[in-house]
Amino acid sequence: MIRYFFRALRAQLRGGVLLFALSLFGVSIGVASVVSIQIINLNALGAFRGSMLAVSGSADLILLGKMPTLPETLYPEVLATPGVAAAWPLYRVDVTLRDADPIVLEVIGVDFFTAIDVPWEGEAVDVSAALGQSGWVAVTATLARERGWSVGERLSVSIGTRTAELVVGALSDFEKATPLASPRLAVMDIAQAQSLLGSRGQVDQIDVKLVDGVDEAAVVAALDRKLGTKAMILTPEQREEQAADLLSAFRLNLTALSLISLFVGGFLVFSSTQAALVRRRTEFGLLRSLGATHRQVFGLLVGDVALLGLAGVAVGMPLGYLGARANIDRVSATLSNLYLLEEIHQLVVPPWFFVLGAAVGLAGAGLGALAPALELGRKDTRSLLAAFSLHARVGEKAPRWFAAGVLCVLAIVGVYAVAGDRWRPAGFVQAFLLICAIPLLTPWLVQLATSRLPVRSFGLAYGVKGLGRQLQTTPVAVAALAIAVSMVVGVTTMVSSFRDTLDIWIERTIQADIYVSTPSRRRAASHATIGADVIERLKRHPAVTHVDRLRQFFAYTNGRRFSLAGVDASVPVDRARFALLEGEVEELPRDSVLVGEPLARKEGLHVGDDLVVDGPDGPVSFPIAGIYYDYSSELGSAFLHLDTMTERFGGGTVASVALYLAPDSDADDVVDELRVAFQATPLSMRSNRGLRERAMQVFDQTFAITRLLRYMSLLIAVCGVALTLIVLARERTSELALYRALGASRLQIFRIYLGKGLGIGAAGIALGSVAGVAFALILIYVVNRAFFGWTIAMHWPLGLLVWQSAIVLLASSVASVYPAIIASRTPATELRREDL
Amino acid sequence: MSLDEPVLRFHSVAKHYSQPSGGVLKALDDVSFEIAAGKKLAITGRSGSGKSTLLHLAAGIDIPSAGAVSFVGRDLGALTDRQRTLIRRDDIGLVFQFFYLLPHLTVWENVALPGWIASDRTFEERGRKLLDRVGLSAFATQPASTLSGGEMQRVAICRALLRKPRLLLADEPTGNLDDDNSEVVMDLLMQLVDDEQGALLYVTHSEEQAAQADERLSLHSGRLERT
Ligand SMILES: Nc1ncnc2c1ncn2[C@@H]1O[C@H](COP(=O)(O)OP(=O)(O)OP(=O)(O)O)[C@@H](O)[C@H]1O
Ligand SMILES: [Mg+2]
Repeated sequence: MIRYFFRALRAQLRGGVLLFALSLFGVSIGVASVVSIQIINLNALGAFRGSMLAVSGSADLILLGKMPTLPETLYPEVLATPGVAAAWPLYRVDVTLRDADPIVLEVIGVDFFTAIDVPWEGEAVDVSAALGQSGWVAVTATLARERGWSVGERLSVSIGTRTAELVVGALSDFEKATPLASPRLAVMDIAQAQSLLGSRGQVDQIDVKLVDGVDEAAVVAALDRKLGTKAMILTPEQREEQAADLLSAFRLNLTALSLISLFVGGFLVFSSTQAALVRRRTEFGLLRSLGATHRQVFGLLVGDVALLGLAGVAVGMPLGYLGARANIDRVSATLSNLYLLEEIHQLVVPPWFFVLGAAVGLAGAGLGALAPALELGRKDTRSLLAAFSLHARVGEKAPRWFAAGVLCVLAIVGVYAVAGDRWRPAGFVQAFLLICAIPLLTPWLVQLATSRLPVRSFGLAYGVKGLGRQLQTTPVAVAALAIAVSMVVGVTTMVSSFRDTLDIWIERTIQADIYVSTPSRRRAASHATIGADVIERLKRHPAVTHVDRLRQFFAYTNGRRFSLAGVDASVPVDRARFALLEGEVEELPRDSVLVGEPLARKEGLHVGDDLVVDGPDGPVSFPIAGIYYDYSSELGSAFLHLDTMTERFGGGTVASVALYLAPDSDADDVVDELRVAFQATPLSMRSNRGLRERAMQVFDQTFAITRLLRYMSLLIAVCGVALTLIVLARERTSELALYRALGASRLQIFRIYLGKGLGIGAAGIALGSVAGVAFALILIYVVNRAFFGWTIAMHWPLGLLVWQSAIVLLASSVASVYPAIIASRTPATELRREDL
Repeated sequence: MSLDEPVLRFHSVAKHYSQPSGGVLKALDDVSFEIAAGKKLAITGRSGSGKSTLLHLAAGIDIPSAGAVSFVGRDLGALTDRQRTLIRRDDIGLVFQFFYLLPHLTVWENVALPGWIASDRTFEERGRKLLDRVGLSAFATQPASTLSGGEMQRVAICRALLRKPRLLLADEPTGNLDDDNSEVVMDLLMQLVDDEQGALLYVTHSEEQAAQADERLSLHSGRLERT
């Protein structure tokens, strides 16, 4: 039987290379989508994990400041805690290189005389130089090579409006310790880091090594008593989980989108297995009558599918890797813009990943082939030999499937009624039900539509009507296309609604004329402050009438990290500064807080509740006066009056300022003037318009990968149209020969097949658009709210959708050109065969 | 194109197939005959003697390797595929041993198909008349797959005659039917051809059916013997 398998395989491949290639394409693009997203997901935290392992790899506990720093005086107390074997303080600050290519250096200030272990490049380094020489810093050998630096190189860096001169004193090799480590890690003496780049007396983190065999929980409890709300005590695993949590929604959504590609790829396998089954049914019947067992025949089919799956994996895995590499930059930008995480520097693919890829490919191919294979299993020898009509059977079952599809739709509504956006997985359950409903609804709808179609001539309509008579294949292609289209419609609508919402929101909230911050602001957050002297000088510019100061740091409520901002609203603005979702306030209230929607949703907060924030001396609570729409970050945010912030959290420096100009001045001109005036100061200035543009740019970048993913499944679906039509052209040779014998011209046959392609395209678009509307609703009202906590106002991008539909229609007609050519070339002499 | 031009003329026609072994199979060799309007011609011969090949050439489905096939004076071999297709569409009717009705179309749609192909809207009346003539009007809206063999062939004859072909070609039209049905179908075919004044060229294995023709040709390994 094995010999027969390979003999038959050869014959099959010879007969239908293109069919095989198309299904292979479907599987491999599906696998590639999933694999590339998983590689990206896997590596999204790579840099974070790498830095953590490189710096705190040997620590048992990590104490992180919540305010956000810790007073240095806590260090001896930590060290003195029973059970603590060693501890070392870290001062971390991300500085920006003042260079044409301004990269970020992740500077870590360490105490070289503690237990910290820096992996040096080459021989051990004399650390006394690190203390003695001002600005001494060790950079990684990789970065030094990349930038052409050697020991002695002087680096000018900025943090906030401060600048400092660093000197490369030694080279480190963190990659030796952990391959994921970022090449941008830089190490210097902690005291130097504090005085040159930050504030004395403060540290960010204290790493703790425990005495062997000591009870970890007891030590944690003891530390907790000493530190109170000032610090978080985490194990390295918990620290990593915390970061992973942050990204979970982002990663999950990308995974879901990529799975849809695989799902559509599965349909291609379904089509081609189905076709093989129809083509080979007499062969199988004959084998059975010659004594082959059920299992052997089944094995033949499974063998084919396994081969297809493996080939799909073999092509899809490398393709996925390349896809991931091509998208690193986009995802990196999202990570750093939206999640304030480090960028992805390299992709690492662990060996187990290949097993996962293979499993995904085989599962995709296997699921696609399951139904046809089971169908075969149920057939007895006689009915295999008899020319059974799969078409008729599908026709009989179509209404029942339709009913099942309707049930799915009802279930979607039911889930919404019961769970709404409160139960996180609800959106995915609904999307899954929707994707199941489409193929169930399709056959009967196709049957209905084509049976109503009047045919008066041998042209496009005749071809379309013929589709209704190919119920075993057509609905599969229609359903696959409909799923892809629904995803395109849904995601497009969601993205463009989001974009419009954001645009309106920005228009409303960005009211100052010029926004001033520093290049290191994004990454260094509260470390990047603007000096008071700089603010004074800005105020003195003749066009500036008012200056709003904004101080921001990450605070914790209920263990959740969020951005807390203090503003001194010095200007009476005509419109409300915040777009409020809940509550009514004219101005930023003195003693209460405004909470952003994502934070409010995640914490279940409403107006009248209290927001309890971990303060320097224990929890501080603020009544919530309002909840505002907030699309600035998924993390969540809250606003206080700057004075209140100083009162409750102590004084601090400002991270950015907003300038209001005299009515007759032009913001862009003033920006230019300020740039000249502040040439020596590391400031980044954007006019109102510039900031808006930048925000939209970040938005587009964030959704670039989504756009790519949705087109992947569309591509697969269009291949499905080609595949179905090729199968039709091949299977219906006798029918085509008869048309030719009856005097139909090649052009007529060509047109009929083009009609079929257009018919599948139009049906896919029609069904897909309806499903796409549902998909958009699920994405906007369930998934987004549950995962990101954003309210998005629905805007239908009709023009864009019509345009996309036209492209899908065009693509399906292009996909039908080749099958149409094959069909039109069928010679009338092919009419020898008996089956029609 | 004069009136007395024969409908179909074979002039020293040969059809060769190259064989996988490298040799050449002479399916037809030096075949000459002609058939005038209103005449019936029967072809007999053993299996593999080239009967179907001859019919394919007559229908312009295939072209000869040597010699000429002319349809009302036009050399089919010199025409393009499209021109031959149009002749087939407009002037030739085909009836096959295996009926070749499209099972998913209704009886009426099968009959109407040549009209659709020709975008000719005037056939409806005629199609109904033909169906009536073969006694199958009552089945018009049924799927063709539900008919018996004899009924199917009667429908196929209606389809072939729909556009009033000048030449009707039938390849063992009763080859798949029992004796009773064969008789009915053959009689119908003869009567209809008489009514329409077309020419009929048919292949048969039955002496009795061959005897109904005006003239008979017998094929032996691709060569013609006149009887
Ligand atoms: N396309 C082809 N390629 C090669 N050989 C062919 C082809 N078509 C027909 N032949 C050969 O030509 C010869 C004549 O075939 P044809 O079909 O005309 O016979 P026939 O008289 O119609 O036989 P039957 O009574 O069995 O239908 C046969 O030997 C056949 O194998
Ligand atoms: Mg024959």
